[in-house]
Amino acid sequence: MIEVNNLRKTFAGDKKGKENRVIALDGLSFTANNGEITGILGPNGAGKTTCLRTLYGLLKADSGYATIDGINVVENPLLARKEIGIFPDKFGLYERLTAYEQIDYFASLHGLQGEAKHQAIETVIRDLEMTELAHRKTAGFSQGQRMKVTLAQALVHQPKNFVLDEPTRGLDVMSTRVLRNYLARFKKKGHCILFSSHVMQEVAALCDRVIIVANGKLAAQGTPTELCELAGESNLEEAFVKIIGSDEGVAA
Amino acid sequence: MIQFKALLTKELKEALRDRRALMMALSFAIMAPIIIFTMSKVMINKITETPEVYIKINGAEFAPKLIKHLKDENILSFKRVPDDEKIMWDERDVILTIPKTFNQDMLDGKPIELILNTDYSDKAMMSPIRRIKDKIRGYAQSIGYKRLLVRGIDVRLLQPIKLIEQNTAMPNSNAMIISMMLGLYLLIAAFMSGLPVAIDSSAGERERNVLEMLLCQPVSTVKIVLAKLTSASLIAVVGVVLTLALTSFAVSFIDLTKIGASFSLDSFTISALLLLLIPICFFASALQLFVAFQSKNFKEAQSMVSIIILIPAMVPFATMMMDDRPKWLDWLPVAGQSLIMEDLFKGLPVSWGLMVFTTLVTIIMTILLVLAMARKLKSEKVVLALS
Repeated sequence: MIEVNNLRKTFAGDKKGKENRVIALDGLSFTANNGEITGILGPNGAGKTTCLRTLYGLLKADSGYATIDGINVVENPLLARKEIGIFPDKFGLYERLTAYEQIDYFASLHGLQGEAKHQAIETVIRDLEMTELAHRKTAGFSQGQRMKVTLAQALVHQPKNFVLDEPTRGLDVMSTRVLRNYLARFKKKGHCILFSSHVMQEVAALCDRVIIVANGKLAAQGTPTELCELAGESNLEEAFVKIIGSDEGVAA
Repeated sequence: MIQFKALLTKELKEALRDRRALMMALSFAIMAPIIIFTMSKVMINKITETPEVYIKINGAEFAPKLIKHLKDENILSFKRVPDDEKIMWDERDVILTIPKTFNQDMLDGKPIELILNTDYSDKAMMSPIRRIKDKIRGYAQSIGYKRLLVRGIDVRLLQPIKLIEQNTAMPNSNAMIISMMLGLYLLIAAFMSGLPVAIDSSAGERERNVLEMLLCQPVSTVKIVLAKLTSASLIAVVGVVLTLALTSFAVSFIDLTKIGASFSLDSFTISALLLLLIPICFFASALQLFVAFQSKNFKEAQSMVSIIILIPAMVPFATMMMDDRPKWLDWLPVAGQSLIMEDLFKGLPVSWGLMVFTTLVTIIMTILLVLAMARKLKSEKVVLALS
């Protein structure tokens, strides 16, 4: 379970004064429950990535707190990070290592070793249908292949909670399906999955609950159907535009 | 421990697979013996040989004996200069003027004035001019002594005080040029060899967006820093060992006995050098990582870290130049080690207390750098390069 409570975060901009300050998060609160897929929707610059970065402990909130399975991420970052699998906003690969070696690296960082580690790696490689890629160096991988490796290294230790920052960008239909099935399987097992996305169909198809963020604040939340009803629109995209109050950022 | 092992294996794998960077780092070690070999060859030649000096002599015919005396010392008349050196010696323009009355004055016992006309500030001419002066003075003195002897006077009267110079330098000291170069080179090698790895694993990884992912993992930043430090330092140590091995091999081909030097890298010297240099490798890598993490991007990191290279290049010179240096300078990393290396090469007894103390200071400073980096990596500014 992931809980975010009243998060505030301001970036200083430059030293001159307050005019250039950017308020990224302005009292954002929400909860992502176990056994559910929670989607964060929001226009560009709404604070989605800032919020997720605060969750991994990369950024420190000015006020408010975030907990993962009840562990405060600021007080106990190492313990909290053990409980999540992270697919970050900016990701790169170690291009001099093979896919297998990278997954192995992250598995070891989570304390796996020996046969258990080997099994975990083999499973995640099979599940993400990347057996052919496994022993190639990642330099020259396509966007979709890179995505798979990053996903595999984020999820190899089978965390209770997944946090994915736009995992489907750049993926083709086949890979998106693989990912979707994969996430659905973990949902059934009772894992908590939180992911941000811009693709409405996907959010509509996959998410149990949707959180709409605008200007660093919670704009609305509920199931996709509830949101449509709330806005009096028939599809999620229209509902989204209506709720955030402008059509800015929808194109992205 | 599992984590540290994984971190270190990954860093080393990446370092070793980056062939170009690795080659660059180690090519430095390969260049060392070549440079030292050629430079010492040149220096030995300069010290042992008395190359020809061509001077313009006016009135050579008035003092044939003096001319012959000069010729014995390879100081020759400009008329005999080979064509390819003609322009050079014409430009240097050393003119010795012998007066017409040379012979008559010599017979009369009058003082004779020879004029040596040249640019005395020309560095390249310092040694030839010294040779000319010594030779003429020696010639004059021998004539003077003979005159006194003929008159039955003990020439020792002319020397009321005789200064006896006793050289306490060990035989090794004459090999100082080579050893100073080697010492300097080893220090630079310690800084150079790990450099590509240090920048790549810090600023490089941040630029490739892999650092962020790593910092989201349940690993303490101290472990991350230590793994990066160990991998860069190990490469640096390999560089230093390679430099030492190749140099001791190359030096064995130079005939140092010509300049009365016996220079050898025996097992004692080598192990003492390694004991001195391994902490320096760690210190250098820590400093480089620190600066690289501080900088905004890869390019900035590269130029900043290049400035660090100046430390091993400049510090030994500075300590050599300073006549009364403050005591604390002996304890600092790099300065302390270079001083101890100097003693080691001179064959002087090594002060073990100082060595232990300098090493300790180096290690403590490395630890402080590691802790500072571990703290920095927790700050969002450094992680996202916002500063």
